[in-house]
Amino acid sequence: MYHHGIAVAIAAFLVLSGVSASASEETCASATGDVAMQARTPEVDLFNDAAGTQKAMTLEAAKFPSCTPITGRSPNMMLQVQMNGAKYWVPPHMVKYRFAGKLPAVCRNLALGSNQEKAGATRGLGEGCPKAGAH
Amino acid sequence: MTTAAETGIRRRDHLLRIIQRVRRPDRAQMEALSQRVPYWFVCVTLFAFAAIQIMLNPFGFSDLTQRYAQDISNLLVTGPYLYGDAGQKAVSAAVIDEEALQTLQMPWPWSYGAHARVLDALLEYHPKAVVVDFLFVDTRPDPTLPQLVDEIARYKKAGVPLYFEGGTHLPYGEYPLRPELAATGARILDPTIPVYDGIARQYNVNGKCFDTRGVAKGACYSLALEVFQDTYPQYKLEPLNGMMELVWGTRTDPHNAKWISVTNEDGTKRSCNSDIGPLRRFYLAFFDPSAVQNPCPYNAQVPVVSLMEGSDDKDIPDLIKNRVVFYGGSLEGAQDKTYTPVNGLLPSVYVHAMALDNLITFRGKPEQNVITAFGHTIPSNPAQMMAIIPVILILALIHMRRMRRKRARSGIQEHGVTFEYVLDKTIETVWHYFAFALALGIGLLLALAVGLSTANWVEVVFVSVELAAMLLVGVPDSLWGYLHHVAGGVADDPA
Repeated sequence: MYHHGIAVAIAAFLVLSGVSASASEETCASATGDVAMQARTPEVDLFNDAAGTQKAMTLEAAKFPSCTPITGRSPNMMLQVQMNGAKYWVPPHMVKYRFAGKLPAVCRNLALGSNQEKAGATRGLGEGCPKAGAH
Repeated sequence: MTTAAETGIRRRDHLLRIIQRVRRPDRAQMEALSQRVPYWFVCVTLFAFAAIQIMLNPFGFSDLTQRYAQDISNLLVTGPYLYGDAGQKAVSAAVIDEEALQTLQMPWPWSYGAHARVLDALLEYHPKAVVVDFLFVDTRPDPTLPQLVDEIARYKKAGVPLYFEGGTHLPYGEYPLRPELAATGARILDPTIPVYDGIARQYNVNGKCFDTRGVAKGACYSLALEVFQDTYPQYKLEPLNGMMELVWGTRTDPHNAKWISVTNEDGTKRSCNSDIGPLRRFYLAFFDPSAVQNPCPYNAQVPVVSLMEGSDDKDIPDLIKNRVVFYGGSLEGAQDKTYTPVNGLLPSVYVHAMALDNLITFRGKPEQNVITAFGHTIPSNPAQMMAIIPVILILALIHMRRMRRKRARSGIQEHGVTFEYVLDKTIETVWHYFAFALALGIGLLLALAVGLSTANWVEVVFVSVELAAMLLVGVPDSLWGYLHHVAGGVADDPA
């Protein structure tokens, strides 16, 4: 009876410590600074540049390392992460991340009258684009 | 025996008398004859007047009446009080606007990769379907194009329908959608929006069909109807003809009020929630309609910046999960804005959203400009003519009875002059209201029974009141008296 009680206590300790470790991994409590805790989408795209024009690789969610440090952030919200010694840019919606600071609130204001007037001009698009076929 | 010469002389005399009566009619004879106007003549006269008004659209009066009434109805009655919110809870729009471009420091045009990023962020929240309201027509060189192709594959894998739009007014040989994107098998829809006097009040039922190589033959539904048919199979889409008449909701989605505000002309800010009481709304709708318009859209707007930064805002899943999300733009100078009756100028993506909203709210039986009954489709004008027939028959019948009573009363001075005057004025007023109520009842019956929109029966009400006024002043009676007199009719007992 006494041995049985010890076995239950040990088992409970093991289970609880496992849960605690898992929770710690999820929240990356031990990591400091900005951190990408884990993947959020089934696949995570990693880019070589902040603009997202050069895709380096696509990782399955399970293969994205947890508690990856965030080393930078671009104005378009892309996050720079350091993985296996290399730096990549990742779209923030693809990972669960934690910022040490606070994100600014997103607000929108409609000036009255903007719904009564429209631009009498056409937006110039793609001025900087190279012409098709030109090298 | 009369000779041919005598017959000729008699005919000439007869004709001369007719001409004389046309030029100098006998007033007493005419008035006496007008008292004997037959029921059929009253009906024919009223019907002819109604036909001119409704079918011939003199000075555009018919159209103007219809559209003005539709706008007022949207602002006053259907929008704020009658229109349900089933569609509002099922449709939202992710709109890239100037503020998003500035915040993200991503100048326009965006790369295909950037669009793929937004689409991927939407997919994360499990939408019911996503409609891309950007035309990807130009074959501009962009190394990120494969990212968008990959994203389409992700949508397929997740089982979420993704729709693109095809260009409709392009030079011959131009692809409606970039061949690389069309080759993925993504559905391509016709984004055409009909505008009436520059305002989006109707929506096409049918549109062009597209295949991977361009415009295909055959008939397809328009954008909102195609999406509705695919995403709401539980509601059987009625066989539709003519056009949809859009009902514009006025109560902005509660989510919009949380993050969108309005700046008044004096610089003060106010909420998107429009707190205008019924009486004030009624007054403003007639005298200052722009004051009742709410610049905030009816359907929820997903904040694209929050979406792209992977925000934990708990409203974002609410705005996307199990909803049909329209992904479009509101960009200065991109010319993709449309004037609406209740919001003023809005990004055109909201017109598609509102059309789908109508289909969901009315469960596949939207308001229309035609009647379809027993397998036959009747256009708006003939439908209105049919609707006004019972009004004419009833008004004419009551008019005849009134005439008969008046004839019986004539010569008998039962009451004082004041009493007669008050009685006549009371009858006049009641008469107009009766005609108004009668036509309104028939209009509402048409709306409820066969889904004819307000715009397409409201003229019946206006014309009915006009007909009542015509009967009050005795137009058919006078016309009958004159014509009968000219034709040689003689009153039994001229007054």
